[in-house]
Amino acid sequence: MKQFIFVYSVLFFFTFSVQSATKAKIEVPLRFDRYYTYAEVNEALKALNSAYPALTKLDVVGKSEEGRDIYALTINNPKTGDELSKPGVYVDGNIHGNEIQAGEVCLYYANMLLTKYGDNDKITKQVDRNAHYIIPVVNVDGRCYFFEGAHTPSSSRSISIPRDDDKDGLFDEDAPDDLDSDGNITQMRIKDPNGEYKADPKDPRILVSIEPGEKGEYTLLGSEGIDNDADGRINEDAEGYLDPNRNFGNNWMPNYVQNGAGNFPFEGIGLKAVNEFIQKRPNIIVAFSFHNVGGMWLRAPSEKSIRIDPADIAAYDVIGKKAIKITPGYVYMPSYELYPTYGDTDAQFFFNFGIFAFVGELFMREQETFREKTDKPAQQTTEQSASLRRGSDPEQTREQLKFSDYLALGEMFIDWKPFNHPVYGEIEIGGWVKMSSRLPQPFMLPEMAHRNAAVVLLAAENTPEISMEVFEVKKAGNNLSQVRVRLKNKNGLSTMTTDAFSKKLYTPDMLKVSGAKVVAGGKIQDFRMNKVSYKEHKPEIQFLMVPSYGTVEYQFLVEGKGEITIDYQSVKASDVKTSVKL
Amino acid sequence: MMKKLYLFMLTATLFVAGTRLTAQSEPDGGKYHSNAGIQEIMAKLQQKSGNAKLHTVATSPGGEPVTILEIGANQKNMPAIFVGANFEGNVPLSSEGALYLAKLLLDSAQYTKNLKWYILPNPNPDAAKGYTDKVKYGRTVNNFEINNDTDEALNEDGFDDLNGDGYITLMRVKDPEGRMIESKADARIMVPADASEGERGEYKILTEGIDNDNDGQYNEDGEGGINVGISFPHLFPRDKKEAGLWAGETPEVYNLMRFIYDRPEIVMVYTLGSSDFCVAPPKGGRKGEANLQNIKVPARYARMLETDPNQTFTMDELMELLKQRMPAGLEVTPAMVAGMLGLGAAVNPLDEDLKFYNKLSEDYKKFLESRKFNSERLDAPADKDGSFELWAYYHLGVPSFSMNLFTVPKVKEEKKTDSGTVSLNDVEKMSTEEFTALGDEKIAAFLKANNAPERFTASGVIEMMKSGRFDPKQMAGMIKGAQKKEKKGELGEKEKALLAYADKTLEGKGFVRWQKYNHPNLGEVEIGGYIPYMESTPKPELIDSLLGTQLPWLLQLTAKLPQIGIASEKITEMGGNVYKVEIYIENKGYLPYPIAMGQRNNQPAPVVVVLDGEMQILEGIKRTPLGAINGNSVKKLTWIVQTDKKSINAKIESAVFGPSEKQIKIGG
Repeated sequence: MKQFIFVYSVLFFFTFSVQSATKAKIEVPLRFDRYYTYAEVNEALKALNSAYPALTKLDVVGKSEEGRDIYALTINNPKTGDELSKPGVYVDGNIHGNEIQAGEVCLYYANMLLTKYGDNDKITKQVDRNAHYIIPVVNVDGRCYFFEGAHTPSSSRSISIPRDDDKDGLFDEDAPDDLDSDGNITQMRIKDPNGEYKADPKDPRILVSIEPGEKGEYTLLGSEGIDNDADGRINEDAEGYLDPNRNFGNNWMPNYVQNGAGNFPFEGIGLKAVNEFIQKRPNIIVAFSFHNVGGMWLRAPSEKSIRIDPADIAAYDVIGKKAIKITPGYVYMPSYELYPTYGDTDAQFFFNFGIFAFVGELFMREQETFREKTDKPAQQTTEQSASLRRGSDPEQTREQLKFSDYLALGEMFIDWKPFNHPVYGEIEIGGWVKMSSRLPQPFMLPEMAHRNAAVVLLAAENTPEISMEVFEVKKAGNNLSQVRVRLKNKNGLSTMTTDAFSKKLYTPDMLKVSGAKVVAGGKIQDFRMNKVSYKEHKPEIQFLMVPSYGTVEYQFLVEGKGEITIDYQSVKASDVKTSVKL
Repeated sequence: MMKKLYLFMLTATLFVAGTRLTAQSEPDGGKYHSNAGIQEIMAKLQQKSGNAKLHTVATSPGGEPVTILEIGANQKNMPAIFVGANFEGNVPLSSEGALYLAKLLLDSAQYTKNLKWYILPNPNPDAAKGYTDKVKYGRTVNNFEINNDTDEALNEDGFDDLNGDGYITLMRVKDPEGRMIESKADARIMVPADASEGERGEYKILTEGIDNDNDGQYNEDGEGGINVGISFPHLFPRDKKEAGLWAGETPEVYNLMRFIYDRPEIVMVYTLGSSDFCVAPPKGGRKGEANLQNIKVPARYARMLETDPNQTFTMDELMELLKQRMPAGLEVTPAMVAGMLGLGAAVNPLDEDLKFYNKLSEDYKKFLESRKFNSERLDAPADKDGSFELWAYYHLGVPSFSMNLFTVPKVKEEKKTDSGTVSLNDVEKMSTEEFTALGDEKIAAFLKANNAPERFTASGVIEMMKSGRFDPKQMAGMIKGAQKKEKKGELGEKEKALLAYADKTLEGKGFVRWQKYNHPNLGEVEIGGYIPYMESTPKPELIDSLLGTQLPWLLQLTAKLPQIGIASEKITEMGGNVYKVEIYIENKGYLPYPIAMGQRNNQPAPVVVVLDGEMQILEGIKRTPLGAINGNSVKKLTWIVQTDKKSINAKIESAVFGPSEKQIKIGG
């Protein structure tokens, strides 16, 4: 109980201080030189919505476990058509509560589309041609607590459903504690001549492992905290843990197979609501889910044993291979190469909704530099560059501290200070603050947001755009005409994933002829050689997809005279229609 | 291993068949009810009892309520049993079974005193409507919108009752590409033509209906829907359209999962329907599972555990290794190891659990014998991927017993003229020694008479048995499994039984005789075949006796539940007010808690032993998770405490077993 009051009062203190310090009015265009709290994200969305009422719609998708609203901003120009008639671009972020810059990237994308609409041709075109769906904060409870509570850069990730991690019958009873009341969960260390660490001679704030035979100075005691439940362990049953990105439906596996899975798919009601929002918008063809950290573009599949069609990889590559140039330092790879996951958004969107789904892992710590410009960057091995991106190289730590000292105004690291611990006695507390490590410093935020939003724009530009050409109409005997139609996709994403087409996930694209009787119709294999494979039944409706930058051709033998109408209809691409006189 | 298991089974305590329980006769007995009827009975039961509550857990896509009757609603802190029935919607008898069980429970206090019950009679009401619909086809799907053939229209090509008899049966149509012919044994039955025997196919077989959407396919996109009975997340059959896109896409399943996880006191699950785990355990032999006796540790974990990445370990060895590297007091579970090493999901029942499944299945057979129940009936269908009963075992980690209340009786085979031949049933009961003692000649005759596959030769099977590769029971099982290819010109056991049942018991009404029909798409066809629901649904007048004979087993099974309490304690004074406190926790029940699968998935609610009082604990922790405890056994927990008081308290805290507390005298 005492503990509870303690935590509560700390929470209250920070809620108050955060609000008073940053209560700047939110106006359009939005600013990106600081992080928005959960409440401010909503205010920003409302500001965009009221500044651009004709182009936007703001919906509450659903509520979280704790009753907070999850908002979706839809950007669509009704003058150019209903949203469901256009290829949909979906962007979300902050599904892990601590990954807050993901929300900023989503807001940036919305702000960019709206404020440049009418001024910039590329933007104007994509606002007119696509429907854009933006959910900046999926894990609203998590974001809220990340700002208001004391955290490490990696806590407050979970969906707000308590779980008995240590199986002692109590739920979430032993989380870390902000012992020094500074709003951060940092590290604890204790002076110990038998310890395995010593202070780094170059920067004593850093602990380095001792060499064999060398005398130690410190033992690391882990994250700040006490043994709240007196079970001889510290911080063993913290928040949740229900990982929102392991709780989606496709290929979901229970908790004993993969920690964080939850009890059943969509146990998180906010996640269920977000999933339903997407399911009700079958026009979505490409999706981005932003996370941190490491600088990666991940695509489906997320489990090695599952294969996807090479044609789908090719379509993915159109985006992925350019994306790594827009965001230098990022790698582009299938999600399972990072580690296998079950029940993640990538798999759900790709396999259950036929969406080209990407995960963007935002920010690389290697961008926290304190060094002169050199012409030739040192060649790194893959392993090195991975550890650099994740910020775990010792030389890099020294540089990061300098970066904190000279660029981040000393705000990223709290120097070790003595503390009298109820169990350990005299210890020291210090380390990286929550607003570090996985988050770029605010001054870096606009560039990060812009580059990543540019990748989403690239994807929007590559959503399928079909043109139809009737390239031959000729007499084919008595009262019979031969009509040849070509459908051409000028962009890099196919009109459906090949996976969805081959597994019959939903009704494929259709080419329909009406106005006269169709005697035969089918796909042209080779128009020069006059090779056609006719469909046996109902020749007037052909089922198809149009590949990435691809062309498909169909032939119909039509009886009678007059005018026929040819309709191309697609769930995801925009429909096209033409008519021909026989 | 098998031998040990046998010895174990021989020690079986027999159930004394209790006084025959019957639900007090209600006017609504002896018939099959619609969902409205079921809801009415549930409401009546709830009103009559002062201790029941009705939960509406979901509304089906077709607008039907899905309700659960909680019996023992006023009772807290006790274990509960969940009973679900008719998940696929095509076994109406099982819904009646659930209602019958509810009545039994409300009529007598014997099984509700220390036990709560949740009864779900009709979880798939949209599909269950199929039984009372004018035209019956054995519907299993709800009204969830699914475009089965993913064309331009929804539900546009369902079955059509062309001959107007109220049943969807089959159509046979002469076709040059047809592969089927009439069986020589019974012309009503269609069998594939065997070209090697000089036969040529004549007929194509289709289900009754027309090609409503003219796409060349028949009845490929009827009403609905998702089959609730295959839409749970264990082995979710992703490739089946009628499972939905993910487990729990339909509200009947999603809400039920939430309902059950919200009630950790559920320690056992019964499923009435098609499969039968009372007779035989959940099916094993699925491939792709990690072998827990032979685990390789990936390099990054091998470094942590200081082991050789090329070496293999058993699960027990790994748990031991991990224990050494974990803080004291932290229970290392198989779930922890499996999760860390990415061993994937269990897909076959665990060996330890097969022990109780096999033992209880022997007991069940004796129970049925004692009630003169004819168990010479067709085998129950196997459990299905994505089913409720598999989910209960694999995901909840509790004993899951399914029961099939009716299959068609087998036809009694006339005794073979060669009276010297042993039967398959005899062999099943033999020991290896007894079987091999029959000698080559008799074994060869046995194999031939039972249509055993050619790889089974007399000398071969003797060799296999002597080397311990299989025993007579396992061999009999393999022969049964391989018997599918029937003897030339003879009907299989199942077909014989179904025809006999259709002809005799149903007086010829079970099989619609092939009759000519002028089909709009196909021209002349013949329509005929077994009527829907025949295999699973006996005449209504048999309902009460079938239920009254079999269901009480599920009540008797409750006696096997784990019962956990504080058995005794031992206090040793060490001087200076320091005491060693040893507390024995016992499980008086037959079943372990959790069962092996529950230990693997770490899902069942923990049992925690709490030491309370004014004292300082020098060794041990105040709240000690008990961990797994076997049936009929004790587990000792030890603390060292310092106190100047005369007593402390020990109590058991658990969502399942309720509080039990004991004052422990210390010193003086």
